[in-house]
Amino acid sequence: MKNKTIMTVLKKVGAVALTGAMTMSLLAGCGTTGPADGAAAGAAGTEGGESAPATEAAASGDGASFTIFNSKMEIQDQLVEMASKYSEEKGVNVEVYYSSDTVAAHLSTRYASGEPYTLAMVDAKDVYSLAAEHALDLSGEDWVKDTTNAIAIDGKTYGFPVCVEARGIIYNADAIKKVTGKDFNPDDYATLDSFTALIEELKAGGMATPVGIMKEDWSLAAHYLAEVYEQREDPDAFVKELNAGSTDIGADEKFNSMMDTFDVLKANNYAAGSAISAEREVTEQKLAEGEIAFMFGGNWDWSVINAYDYSENMGIMPVPQNMDDGTNTKLVGGGSKFFIIDSSENTSAAQAQAAKDFLNWLVYDEAGQDFIVNTCALVPAFSNITLPVADPLGASVKKYADAGSLIANYNYLPDDHYSVLGAAFQKYLADQTDRPGFATEINTYWKGVTLAAH
Amino acid sequence: MERNKMSYKVSQFLMFAGPASILFLGTVIIPFIYGLYLTFTSWDGVSKAKPFVGLTNYMAAFADAPYWQALGRTVVYSIFSVLFINIVAFLLAYMVTSGVKGQNFFRAGFFIPNLIGGIVLGYVWKFVFNRAFVAIAESISGGTAPSLLSTTNGAMFCLILVSVWQYAGYMMLIYVAGFMSVPESLKEAAMIDGCNTFQATMNVTIPLMRASFVQCIFLSITRCFMVYDLNLSLTKGEPFNSSVMAAMHVYNQAFTYKNYGTGQAEALILFVVCAIIGVTQVYIGKKGEVAA
Repeated sequence: MKNKTIMTVLKKVGAVALTGAMTMSLLAGCGTTGPADGAAAGAAGTEGGESAPATEAAASGDGASFTIFNSKMEIQDQLVEMASKYSEEKGVNVEVYYSSDTVAAHLSTRYASGEPYTLAMVDAKDVYSLAAEHALDLSGEDWVKDTTNAIAIDGKTYGFPVCVEARGIIYNADAIKKVTGKDFNPDDYATLDSFTALIEELKAGGMATPVGIMKEDWSLAAHYLAEVYEQREDPDAFVKELNAGSTDIGADEKFNSMMDTFDVLKANNYAAGSAISAEREVTEQKLAEGEIAFMFGGNWDWSVINAYDYSENMGIMPVPQNMDDGTNTKLVGGGSKFFIIDSSENTSAAQAQAAKDFLNWLVYDEAGQDFIVNTCALVPAFSNITLPVADPLGASVKKYADAGSLIANYNYLPDDHYSVLGAAFQKYLADQTDRPGFATEINTYWKGVTLAAH
Repeated sequence: MERNKMSYKVSQFLMFAGPASILFLGTVIIPFIYGLYLTFTSWDGVSKAKPFVGLTNYMAAFADAPYWQALGRTVVYSIFSVLFINIVAFLLAYMVTSGVKGQNFFRAGFFIPNLIGGIVLGYVWKFVFNRAFVAIAESISGGTAPSLLSTTNGAMFCLILVSVWQYAGYMMLIYVAGFMSVPESLKEAAMIDGCNTFQATMNVTIPLMRASFVQCIFLSITRCFMVYDLNLSLTKGEPFNSSVMAAMHVYNQAFTYKNYGTGQAEALILFVVCAIIGVTQVYIGKKGEVAA
């Protein structure tokens, strides 16, 4: 009997101890300063999720330190390495963070906890939504005059363009030459008629299905369909008309021109029977290895293509169209990913200055330019950077950008545009709806949205 | 020490339930109340201002047709999943308690899918549906075969199949415990009274296992209603947003479309729906519970 009592007591003590231990570990889990997800990579000694709060001045150098939030996954390793070198050389403690979360959702958690990133890489639309409350006015910076891609709101520059990205049809010139025997010059195929003739030639030569189509909603709606709005004098006015219901997109010349081209792409899609389960990686692999010759995409696709045994001569060309308005000789694109500097009291003046110095280093220092162009293989957004771009898709984009042949991105699409109309576009791709049906869905969508003021 | 003094009771409570209560308060109750507050604001998720807008978000949620479609879809998905999860789990449990050779090995084997996280599971099955099944179908038919995931009904079928595969093992364990808790003597007595094995199972074992059923059905209902990870990695709402479940719609609404307040209001509606169904089910289940 006595033994039993002792056992019970022991059990109780054990349970309390165990509960205590678990509680402590849980509390310890909450207490770390690092972000819950998103790998943090400290440059100056700190590793993993644990990191010194940015407000505590680091011991190194002149005591400046700042944090960078990266939202471009493919350059994370390069950024971390660069940050560590930069820290050593400049005596500034730089820490790079990454999260796969939606940018705005991730930043909001940092704003809420009073630990904003000094320098945050965001998308264009985020600059518009964040600038007023969270971003520092950078109008006074030197680099403003050397770029046309920065984002300014009400005359004040807030967003530093990280790179230029543009959309068009990616081609594999080697694969085309192998079939036709002639060198491929994209300029010869600006019209849909000539493009269709080339496709027929490729098919006759043994390439049964020369096209791949990415079924991702962002590719279809945010990239392809968006060109319908962008390839005109005043995209804003057109969107407003759609919103007011005074324009029927089904009757729009540009829409029909782009959809005519899409029909040709769709008819020659290698995955025509299962278009909406085609995987992006498979499509890009086929393109890289020359099994297909064309795919609508952008120079960011290089990060996928270069994982495969890619052909040497590839590039991006404008979407071929019969509509004769000059847009079939231009790519659509511009600045992509923007750095903003936090303006709250949680970021000290010294930190903001260190971040500004870093941006200037990227633009004007040879090492900084080399980092953007060669290490990260990005297309620079600044006219003073003349380094040749390493990857072929980027080189194409640079060529069009230098020639002034880029049609600007329309950055004010509502947040659910890509999802709702992406689904509608997928239906069209899968032959579940026809063009008038698709047009009706677009009209209905636009009539139901509230346009954000800008 | 006076055992019925208030201070004694409080200190006892704090000693045992204190840490858990504080954590529960901090991670569930306070965020819940704060979330409730956010449903009355038109916050976009990032701005500093949280303007008070009253019931606008609830009106928006009630008028949000895609949300109700997603909720309806979730109900359909849950009904099928819960049904099949429990049927499969019960049969598995029956099998591994009936004394087959290597039953411990089977128990472990059936349970393993539950140890794989929903995200990984989704990607693995996506590969199976998109590549393996397609390759098999193509080699049989000789032509091209579309993936199950590319059709509206197919995607739903895939979600249900994978859920059943994932949860059946877990629920099986609870049923196994239920089977083991029924004393052998009762079954023997029934057999002596003239029951055959099937009758003994139906009339003695199953009624005594009612608690297991209540528990399993409750767990599977709540999990199915809140499904997100599997939904995200297996179908991502495709094709044509036709497999977007309620939780995914709530996430999109709040974070992707930046209507935080509306998303939060929709989350609350989902919670209420889920709570009502769960509590009703447990209430009905418990009412008829019998003891040996």
